[in-house]
Amino acid sequence: MNVSRLLELLKAGPISGLKLRTKLLLLALTTLALPWAGCQYAREMETVLRESEQQSLLAVTTTIAGSLKGRQELLFRADSLPAIGGNDARDITPVVLSGAPLIDGRSDEWDTNERNVVRVAGPGGDGMRLLAATHERWLYLALLVHDQKLVFDAYEMAPLDANTIGDRIWLAFDDKRGGQQRLFFGGSGTGPVPARRIETREYGREEAVEEPRIEAVWQRSKDGYVVEIGIPLSLVGQHIGVLIDDRDRRGATRQSYGTLDVADLRATGRLIAASPDLNDHLRQFSQPGVELTVASSSGATLTRLDAPALPGDYTKMRGFLPRMYRVFLDGGAIPRSVSQPERERAAQSLTAKAARGHAETALFAGRYENSVIVAAAAPIFSADGKQVLGVIQLAQTADRWLTLRDRALTRLLNLTLIVTLFAVGAAFWFAGRMTLRITRLGTASENALGREGSLSRVLPESEAKDELGELSRSFSSLLGRLDEYTGYLRTLAGKLAHEIRTPLTIIRSSLENLESEAQGTNGMPDNARIYISRAREGSERLGAILTAMGAATKVEEAIAHSERQRFDLAALVRTAIGAYGAAFPQRSFVCQAPEEPVEITGAPDLIVQMLDKLIDNAVDFSADGATISVVVREDASFAELSVSNPGPPLPAEGAEKLFESLWQSRPETDKRPHFGLGLYIVRLIAEFHGGTAQAANLPDNTGASFSVRLAR
Amino acid sequence: MPLTYTCRQHEKDGFMKKTIAIVEDERAIRDNYAAAFSREGYAVRGYANRREAMAAFAARLPDLAVIDISLEDEPEGGFELCRELRGLSPELPIIFLTARDSELDAVSGLRLGADDFLTKDLSLAHLIARVNALFRRVDALRRPAEEKQVIRRGALSLDGERMSVEWNGQVVLLSLTEFWIVYALTKHAGHVKNRQQLMDAANVVLDDNTITSHIKRIRRKFQVVDEKFDAVHTVYGMGYRWVE
Repeated sequence: MNVSRLLELLKAGPISGLKLRTKLLLLALTTLALPWAGCQYAREMETVLRESEQQSLLAVTTTIAGSLKGRQELLFRADSLPAIGGNDARDITPVVLSGAPLIDGRSDEWDTNERNVVRVAGPGGDGMRLLAATHERWLYLALLVHDQKLVFDAYEMAPLDANTIGDRIWLAFDDKRGGQQRLFFGGSGTGPVPARRIETREYGREEAVEEPRIEAVWQRSKDGYVVEIGIPLSLVGQHIGVLIDDRDRRGATRQSYGTLDVADLRATGRLIAASPDLNDHLRQFSQPGVELTVASSSGATLTRLDAPALPGDYTKMRGFLPRMYRVFLDGGAIPRSVSQPERERAAQSLTAKAARGHAETALFAGRYENSVIVAAAAPIFSADGKQVLGVIQLAQTADRWLTLRDRALTRLLNLTLIVTLFAVGAAFWFAGRMTLRITRLGTASENALGREGSLSRVLPESEAKDELGELSRSFSSLLGRLDEYTGYLRTLAGKLAHEIRTPLTIIRSSLENLESEAQGTNGMPDNARIYISRAREGSERLGAILTAMGAATKVEEAIAHSERQRFDLAALVRTAIGAYGAAFPQRSFVCQAPEEPVEITGAPDLIVQMLDKLIDNAVDFSADGATISVVVREDASFAELSVSNPGPPLPAEGAEKLFESLWQSRPETDKRPHFGLGLYIVRLIAEFHGGTAQAANLPDNTGASFSVRLAR
Repeated sequence: MPLTYTCRQHEKDGFMKKTIAIVEDERAIRDNYAAAFSREGYAVRGYANRREAMAAFAARLPDLAVIDISLEDEPEGGFELCRELRGLSPELPIIFLTARDSELDAVSGLRLGADDFLTKDLSLAHLIARVNALFRRVDALRRPAEEKQVIRRGALSLDGERMSVEWNGQVVLLSLTEFWIVYALTKHAGHVKNRQQLMDAANVVLDDNTITSHIKRIRRKFQVVDEKFDAVHTVYGMGYRWVE
């Protein structure tokens, strides 16, 4: 593509090729930018709101953390106090529960995703998870053991017979006096299992003594077994731990694993439990919709205050459109729904950061699709501010903002959608009307210009007050002037003929009188006679010119007074061609017309006149001896009459012009008067018969063919 | 001011000269026509407008009137004059001689009772032939009908002297030109008369369309007395034929 072409294209514009309707439609579609702008605004609003929410949440978190600063006794139970600081994988951090768990050996009520889970791997694929919780003055432990082979004791009554015992669980803890309590659980089947300690009696006889204050239930699970244990907190000192003696069959060698020291069954893992007053202290900060979590510096949850229900309805809007809007809006900016572990990890990393001494806020995906959680975590410092005692974390769903945003947006989008639809509709209607009006105007002006016979001056839309009306009116006045002009031109010949006729009559009658007088007196010289005869010749020629000039008007007049009748065109043409043979002996005529009648409705006189003109034309443009062929054809609705002659091809200006008034292309040498009316008369007569006149060169360019279609 | 032309020949003869009134606003034409008519022995009086003409006619009627349609300030003054003149005398031969050659004018003029409607490109000789013919007719009408002048073709009877035509015994009122065309067609019934032959017979020079309108008018006039009249056939490209 060269440069000028490109420039041309640019000048034309990208939509210049489109129809007006399409252009306006495209313009109307730009209103769709409105919702987009609205979305941007809403998104920004939402971001601002969420950020401020995050900041305020962080502020609240820091405040709560401040209230707990240095107050270890409020955070941890008295027995746990000396043990804070440092991390040990064996530490057990019970969660404060709001209700006591049922000791039934089922793991389903335990939150196994807790950060507080202590995991210990056993031999083979085995392993256990230890969960802990406190409620009021009880410590609850849940051992979820993965064991390929659960082996129970053979006899209930012989718990110490090394040959019959199966899997065994040891529980050891400090008592308040500094002693070490070691208890074991072992039963011959599922169900409640007593906690027993081994006491050495006289003669070194060992005996299993039940500890009635400790409850436990042993149950099978899918992949092993679950043991739930309930211990009064008052029994337990700083350390606590469990150990599993795994046996593949009764009496087999035990394979021990757990948090106890395997050699002497000493508990080394600490019990880091929250103070019973902690929840009371925290409750004063409780807010609707805000979940409050206190974790130890290791990140293990100490207590969690669930969010009281939010007042009001913040449920998401349902329905197809709001969903579409959300997809359209969020576009990946907001985290999608994630699984529980992922969410836990996100919360954990936040806590871990706080544990290093930084107050942080974060945004992560909530439990439901597109729900977002705003969380803030702040460290709780020791009195000297050097040590992180724990971490407080507040979490709140941002759904409120999302919901508000969604609502506002849904309303906005619905509104803009309606407005856009309306605008598009209106634009379409307007464009349609405009196009229709312009098309009508165009067609009308085209028709007005196309039919030279009579220009219609009244165009559509001329009543309209807008620019189209103005255009129409100026078109009308233009057409009016054009009409006057063409009318003037059309009648000029006739008027001229009429005006010239009077002086011509004077000349002619004077000449005639002169001749008559001369005859009477015999006194005219020969020279004078010659001049008189020349003058007569001249006046006769002038007369012929006048007749030719008035011919079109005559034909128009004849057309106006014509009566239509049914007649056989083929017969008419055959008869007429016979006559032309005599009239033009230097030409031969060939007539091809169907034998059967070609009936049309019209004025035969006019058809003959039209044929006369066509034949005249053919004779004028062909040489002596040429053959002029006349063909009559017919189809369903038209009869066609064509006259072809050998001769020069049609002028290049276009075959259409040939049929216009006062247009001619004849050799200059032609002496006879011609006003370019012959073919115009042909057209007039063809149009009177509901048809058209056309001219074309013969296929081999050896002549021209004029054909007239006549409605049947 | 009425202009009076006299003819030298007829003055000598002492006959009561026939008077022709020419109402024509173009003085040169009027004088030329007057000269030609005078040469033929007619007394000619010329008028330039309707008022002059009517004033004179009220005093004394001419024997024949040649009237132009547009007279000075009245574009249709000739028509009005013709109507008034016909009111004065039903028999007076009236000829329209005008530069206007539209079909409408011809129809209007003939409907007002003119005996002929001619355009000005007619030669003086042809005009005089017509005038003579009309005077002959006036004379013939005064005498009893002579049977030998009558041509009969079936339902048609045509009196060459009186220039009257009857179809089935009913009179068909034809203008002079029309009569001559019918006469030419019926003289040799069945023969095709081409346009030139018809024009020669009618002492006129007409274009194709005018011939066609004459034929059309003739057919219509016959159809007034007989709806089934179909004796004038068109032979396309050649001319017309009277078919019995």
